[in-house]
Amino acid sequence: MGVELTTPPHGFGAGNAAGVPVQAPDQGFFNDLNGELTDKGFLVTTTEDLFQWARTGSLWWMTFGLACCAVEMIHVNMPRYDMERFGAAPRASPRQSDVMIVAGTLCNKMAPALRRVYDQMSEPKYVISMGSCANGGGYYHYSYSVVRGCDRVVPVDIYVPGCPPTAEALLYGVMQLQRKIRRSGSIER
Amino acid sequence: MADYDHQLDAANPTPGDVEIQNYTINFGPQHPAAHGVLRLVTELDGEIIERIDPHVGLLHRGTEKLIEYKTYQQALPYMDRLDYCSPLCMEHSYVLAVEKLLDIEVPLRAQYLRVFFAELTRICNHMLNLGSHVMDVGAMTPNLWMFEIREDCLGFFERMSGARMHHNYLRPGGVHQDVPLKLLTDIAEWLDTRLPRLFGDAISLVAENRIFKQRNVDIAIVSREDAVRWGFSGPMIRGAGIPWDIRKAQPYDAYDRVEFDVPVGTRGDCYDRFMVRVEEVWQSARIMKQCLAQMPEGPIASSDRKVVPPKRAEMKQSMEALIHHFKLYTEGFHVPAGEVYVATESPKGEFGIYMVSDGSNKPYRVKIRPTAFSHLQAMDFMAKGHMLADITAILGAMDIVFGECDR
Amino acid sequence: MRAPAPRHAPNDGVIDAATAALGDMLLHAQDLVSEISLTVDRDRLVIAMETLRDTPGLKYEMLAEIAGVDYPERPERFDVVYHLLSMTRNHRIRVRVTTDEDAPVPSVTGIWYNAGWLEREVYDMYGVLFTGNADLRRILTDYGFRGHPLRKDFPLTGYVEMRYSEEAKRVVYEPVKLAQDFRTFDFMSPWEGAEYVLPGDEKAAAPKPAVGTAPGAPTPVTADQVKRADDNVKAAEPQVDKPKTTESTAQSGAGKPHPGNQPESKPVDPDVPSPDAGKPSVEDK
Repeated sequence: MGVELTTPPHGFGAGNAAGVPVQAPDQGFFNDLNGELTDKGFLVTTTEDLFQWARTGSLWWMTFGLACCAVEMIHVNMPRYDMERFGAAPRASPRQSDVMIVAGTLCNKMAPALRRVYDQMSEPKYVISMGSCANGGGYYHYSYSVVRGCDRVVPVDIYVPGCPPTAEALLYGVMQLQRKIRRSGSIER
Repeated sequence: MADYDHQLDAANPTPGDVEIQNYTINFGPQHPAAHGVLRLVTELDGEIIERIDPHVGLLHRGTEKLIEYKTYQQALPYMDRLDYCSPLCMEHSYVLAVEKLLDIEVPLRAQYLRVFFAELTRICNHMLNLGSHVMDVGAMTPNLWMFEIREDCLGFFERMSGARMHHNYLRPGGVHQDVPLKLLTDIAEWLDTRLPRLFGDAISLVAENRIFKQRNVDIAIVSREDAVRWGFSGPMIRGAGIPWDIRKAQPYDAYDRVEFDVPVGTRGDCYDRFMVRVEEVWQSARIMKQCLAQMPEGPIASSDRKVVPPKRAEMKQSMEALIHHFKLYTEGFHVPAGEVYVATESPKGEFGIYMVSDGSNKPYRVKIRPTAFSHLQAMDFMAKGHMLADITAILGAMDIVFGECDR
Repeated sequence: MRAPAPRHAPNDGVIDAATAALGDMLLHAQDLVSEISLTVDRDRLVIAMETLRDTPGLKYEMLAEIAGVDYPERPERFDVVYHLLSMTRNHRIRVRVTTDEDAPVPSVTGIWYNAGWLEREVYDMYGVLFTGNADLRRILTDYGFRGHPLRKDFPLTGYVEMRYSEEAKRVVYEPVKLAQDFRTFDFMSPWEGAEYVLPGDEKAAAPKPAVGTAPGAPTPVTADQVKRADDNVKAAEPQVDKPKTTESTAQSGAGKPHPGNQPESKPVDPDVPSPDAGKPSVEDK
């Protein structure tokens, strides 16, 4: 392992092609990396990998609780599940957040506000649609006042099914979003 | 600048005074302290609130219309999604209304199970409310501990019905399925050990805390007369000093077989409402322990096969059971024509169902009486003259959930 | 009453007291399903409500709820239903006025403050007008919503739906286009209350209602008749000592082959190789 880290063996940007089993990271790689860092004090990598690493490691999500799913969204932040382990911290302001979790039924009256909040978020921004109401209307699909899926209003990256999805399901959704960013991310997104 | 000074002088002759006009700020609909999708159009004079116009309906999902298109059984899960912090108590009103129209008996064990889990729901709901209330006024740690209790509750609910939040557990005629004995013993142990420790610790951090009291005592005082005229219920009316609890006054299910006290506030401010809820948690635990001690063995649902579906094992062997099952899950049961208003004590107050039946298998009209409607309406009256930062304390002590408020 | 619904104070004498207090303002009073409903004159609603609140012996001091109900076939199609609660007497009562699209109902906001939003909701959902409500705006539906959604002639899915338009850079309303229609079925089978008469059934008498026997089955009787019948009839004794039920397959014989259904008694089909006839001949392949 030289100083130049251009093609990291696992995780970083390389993705997991279909059929390749997920392997545990090679401990030797990390030891080398650690030795490199303590020896020289710096590492060399591509900017793209660096950006993706930064993006996946600090997915600050915006607290946009609409309905029932918001309760599970709170639960995933609380000590039992503790989503901050993954660098995903709640953020009340749309301008400082990276990902919006649409948690709950999106109603016609709320849709303009949702879109405005989405427009205020800074690039790169991601959307997780949580629960069957946000995915496609769900139990309220045929109602006169419900948007039949929040993807009619904002572009969605990850859909989390369930009514409501459990906290684990949302956690898995966030991890899937990290994977998606690693796989398809670029500097300009 | 000169023009401006001139105008000021014309409006206000006192030199040196700066007149500030009232200004309007928009609170929400996306605000972490709004407990959902509330929009408050607030008119301020400096920091002082002059007028509040709450805009609700941002979560209006058309539940009442949808229920008219579903059979009685299909409409039951909508109840869970009304007040998603206390789903089981919403079902409670609905099944009682259907049972009152059908006039069917419910076995005693089912009644105890309903009361037992309704009280667990009350604990669960108050954990969320108390936790977010203290968080809104600046404390962080109690919320983390109370959510640990909530996590335990959701685990129990999952073992009871299979779902963490939307249980669909109460059915007209009883409950959906019996609970395992191990679950009951686990809850009993939890009530004895874990709940008192976690909840007692969490409350000990805030109940006598100077900062917490400064932000809550004497905020939004409501007198008894005002509480009645504004149609308050639940902890809001008990916080105002009226000992009114539907579980006590108009007992339903097995509530007349258990002993509990109704806590009442003395001043009618936000702190009293908070402490009423704290005491209700202890009373709920007391009711649950009595339920465990008194709960008999026996059937968990009415044996009326026109209303309650047969057991799965029975269906494998009996043709009649299979027919009943098929009819119940396609056509549903028919409810005789009539109208009832059934109100129960949900954790937030009086939650009522006004149900009109025309004799068919679908409700003709179901009007849901939300608890939050009259409370939120009084927001203007309660917040007038207080500071802008008190809005969060008032809202937190009101315990509003928009799924139920907007329906 | 057998159902475990909330039990308030008994209804005895309440109708008499209300009749005495309200006089000719009271149009109709009934006690159904152990709940009292009063129908009062629409124009004098406020006076009637004040009487109900202030008269000793009635004292309905809290307004719990205002609900609208739509009966499109009636000339005055809307009911506005007020649910009052007396905490001192522990009793509930229902007060009803009827109206149509145009005739306004007097507002009770002067008596109960919380009537304001409740009336706004009835206006929003049904289009019933209230005179004296200073703030009669829509409350639950979207800003600029058209129609009154809980009227029976309003379709479930409404007329418009919402999406974000990339061209206009804002959310826009469009006519509803459903990928799959709402599935609704007519469960009225011909022998239980369908509108039409089957050929040959013209002379058959209407079936007599079996009161209080099977809740949940379609019945022409009302909930109140069921309740009264149940109050009178004690729990029905079983008619026979040994009820004729089938608890297990041992009693019904299900699962055992019929004597005439044994494999050896079946006629031999030359095209089907019987399982015990050994393997089919290999040479055919």
